[in-house]
Amino acid sequence: MTPSILGALEFPPISHLLEWPEFLFEDTLFGINKAVLLTLIGAMMVLGFFMAAGRRRELVPTGMQNAGEMAIEFIEQDIVVNVMGPEARHWTPFMASIFFFILFLNIFGIIPLVQFPVPSRMAIPMFLALQTWVLMLVVGFKHQGFKFLPNTLFPPGVPGALKPLLAFIELLSVFILRPFTLMVRLFANLMAGHMLLTTFYVLSAALWVKSVGLVVLPLPVAMAIFVTAFEILVAVLQAYIFTILTAVYVSESMHGH
Amino acid sequence: MRLRALVASGLAAGVVLLSAPAAVAMEEEHEIPVGVEENSDLGEEELHCLAEQVAAFEALEANPEAGSRVETCEESPNPILPATNEIVWGGIAFLVVFFLMWKFAVPAIRKGLQAREDRIRSDLEAAEAAKQEAENLRGQYQQQIADARAEAGRIIDEARQAADAMRRDVHESAEAEATAARARAESEIDLTVSRAQSDLQREVADFAVRLAERIVERNLDRDAQQALIDQYIAEVGGLGGNGRSRGGNGSGGSASDN
Repeated sequence: MTPSILGALEFPPISHLLEWPEFLFEDTLFGINKAVLLTLIGAMMVLGFFMAAGRRRELVPTGMQNAGEMAIEFIEQDIVVNVMGPEARHWTPFMASIFFFILFLNIFGIIPLVQFPVPSRMAIPMFLALQTWVLMLVVGFKHQGFKFLPNTLFPPGVPGALKPLLAFIELLSVFILRPFTLMVRLFANLMAGHMLLTTFYVLSAALWVKSVGLVVLPLPVAMAIFVTAFEILVAVLQAYIFTILTAVYVSESMHGH
Repeated sequence: MRLRALVASGLAAGVVLLSAPAAVAMEEEHEIPVGVEENSDLGEEELHCLAEQVAAFEALEANPEAGSRVETCEESPNPILPATNEIVWGGIAFLVVFFLMWKFAVPAIRKGLQAREDRIRSDLEAAEAAKQEAENLRGQYQQQIADARAEAGRIIDEARQAADAMRRDVHESAEAEATAARARAESEIDLTVSRAQSDLQREVADFAVRLAERIVERNLDRDAQQALIDQYIAEVGGLGGNGRSRGGNGSGGSASDN
């Protein structure tokens, strides 16, 4: 009957991180909870940012226009042209959408009062990873025809004896594991970061409740600040990794090995 | 083509994802703990859960076999399984973002970049052309200056040559004039001298004749007289000054004789 069973600190049950009740259109396909709301807000922010950047046509770019142009050039040069080659420039809008969609949703994890990285829920990583996977297959069959499968399974220059083994490994890694690794990498990084932040915030708050003096204890607060900074890095890095891997996979399907 | 591929991939992803969690969700319906009343609100549910947990804990102490009850109460949704509504909204949101980025935002930004690139390129080309033109003009001016200098040198040379020629002309004509004048003067002098000589001859002859007439009167015959005269004239004509001084002496002698 006493809280002593749960320990002195009233740590919220793990389900609070995982259960997000819907508050609109409950129990339908279009139910809206905090994650959905943030997804929509993030999408609108991405669009608002780039629309605002594209509307102004100053000769000397400032503010939004400058940032938008830098963002598009970064995606085009560092991801599309570097990975897929200069002839693949028409992929820039897609890669930019992936990068900034993930980035904006990630960064919600450290925005005060929001503090919820949407990709720490499985839905967005799963959708994007499956999309990349399907795209990889579609592009592969479109560019290489049915040679796409043998081209992928049997890389050139492999001794005959190794071919079956390698084909099995390639089949597993390219066609089965890729979407899972892509999905889990994004999801797990954001989930872990979110739980770390929650842990240190809750710990700081609990210490503060127990005694105001305890909050100055360096570890929880310092860790909360450190992890927040770290999460900014993770947010950018994971968006970048997801985008560049998508580019690599699609590029491999285009050009073969 | 790309758009179609994307929409297809989005739809395929949606279909795959919608089927899996729905099945799991239905499965989860059956796992609601027996002790929890269905019409209780969230607070009530938590209380119930706590009570369940305490009971389970006590039961666990009594009988270690009943451990599973504790976990049932604390069970939370599987974090690996996605929520269907989030997939639906996430997919719609991403596809809308992509479509608008593809159709409007990125082309607009690219247009801006392209316009700036074109502008900078044309500005640079214009600057290059202007520089080229300036170079050409400078070359022209330098050519003109060089031409003008050469012209000036030529004019000065011409003037110098003209002056030289003129000086030479003047000098030559002056010399020629001087020569002519000298020649004229010499010929005049010669003429005067010869006239004076002939005058003197005549005068001396006359004078000698008259003197001789007066001295000799009628003592001399005509032939002797003429011989004497001729001899005298010959002496005067051959000796010039001697003849004159002899004549002078003669006249002086004759004057003293008178």
